[in-house]
Amino acid sequence: MQSAGNDIIALDLTDKQRSNDSRFYSKILSESEKKYYCHSPLAGMEFEYFLWLCWSVKESAYKYLKRIQPGLIFSPTRIEIVHVAIPVNGKFEQPECIQWEGPAQGEKCYNGRFVFEGNTYYFRSKIYPGMITTVVNADESFEHVSWGFDSIDDTGSEHQSKAVRAFLLQKLQTILPGKELRIEKAAAGYPVVFSGTEELDIPVSFAHHGSYIAYSFYLPDYRCSEDEELFSLFHYTRDWKSRKEDLYHPISTL
Amino acid sequence: MDRQAILDELKKVLLPYTENKELLNGITEDTDLLKDLKINSANLVDIIIDAESKYNIEIDFDSAEKMMTVRDCINVIAEKVNA
Repeated sequence: MQSAGNDIIALDLTDKQRSNDSRFYSKILSESEKKYYCHSPLAGMEFEYFLWLCWSVKESAYKYLKRIQPGLIFSPTRIEIVHVAIPVNGKFEQPECIQWEGPAQGEKCYNGRFVFEGNTYYFRSKIYPGMITTVVNADESFEHVSWGFDSIDDTGSEHQSKAVRAFLLQKLQTILPGKELRIEKAAAGYPVVFSGTEELDIPVSFAHHGSYIAYSFYLPDYRCSEDEELFSLFHYTRDWKSRKEDLYHPISTL
Repeated sequence: MDRQAILDELKKVLLPYTENKELLNGITEDTDLLKDLKINSANLVDIIIDAESKYNIEIDFDSAEKMMTVRDCINVIAEKVNA
């Protein structure tokens, strides 16, 4: 069964002092993850970033697995990260733009593996000075996984929720033109995409935290190309910001 | 410590992480921390740590993962406080 899971963390909303408190991080990290931090290439990374990278992987994993096991309860220490590789071009990227969409592939991501109940899964993460975002998948290639993130001005939970749905639907509309798409939540809590009364077989996931929103989805018939990523960046610089204000405004969406 | 007393204190623990403070006035044992109070999941560990400090208890992994509704929270806290 295919699924989707992602997460985004606004680091300005996390408590740096608490993040470094063993009482706090011991409820997120397993003993082997603590040792891994000290003896891996990640040891040069501030612990705060490592902790929230791990959290974003675990939260993404929970969303991914919840669609497969609807009764699953989130238990961060039972989702265990066993490997993290840093991007070839360095640890931190300065954000080239606030909004980004593209394939979950390439060398610009942190990539790694985690294990849950004996099964291995994979993740891709992007880390910026103020934000960490992650997507997970059962297949290491991430060939059919797309993701995107954006920033918003209104950080109220109702607006976050509407904005991230509008962001995802706008992307899906470009792939499935002519369909009236909407998103509902399944009883277990994961999002489901509908076209009219038809439930589409497109696992989607979304996340929001503070001024950041993010989506991911798995679509076998669609492969987000590098060209599309570049287009997205170009698109942003030209007119995305003004269009975004219309798109995400609560009155004009959904 | 009875359930009402725990609930009254629990509201204070949840207050910093609840965007719409008025929702706390109407919480019941069925209230879900994420769905109803719109608490961000990134704050769940904060709530567990604050509850530990408030009640001078230690909430282990197995208990913490059950704390999704107010009822779950009261059950876990009552068990630890009254142990």
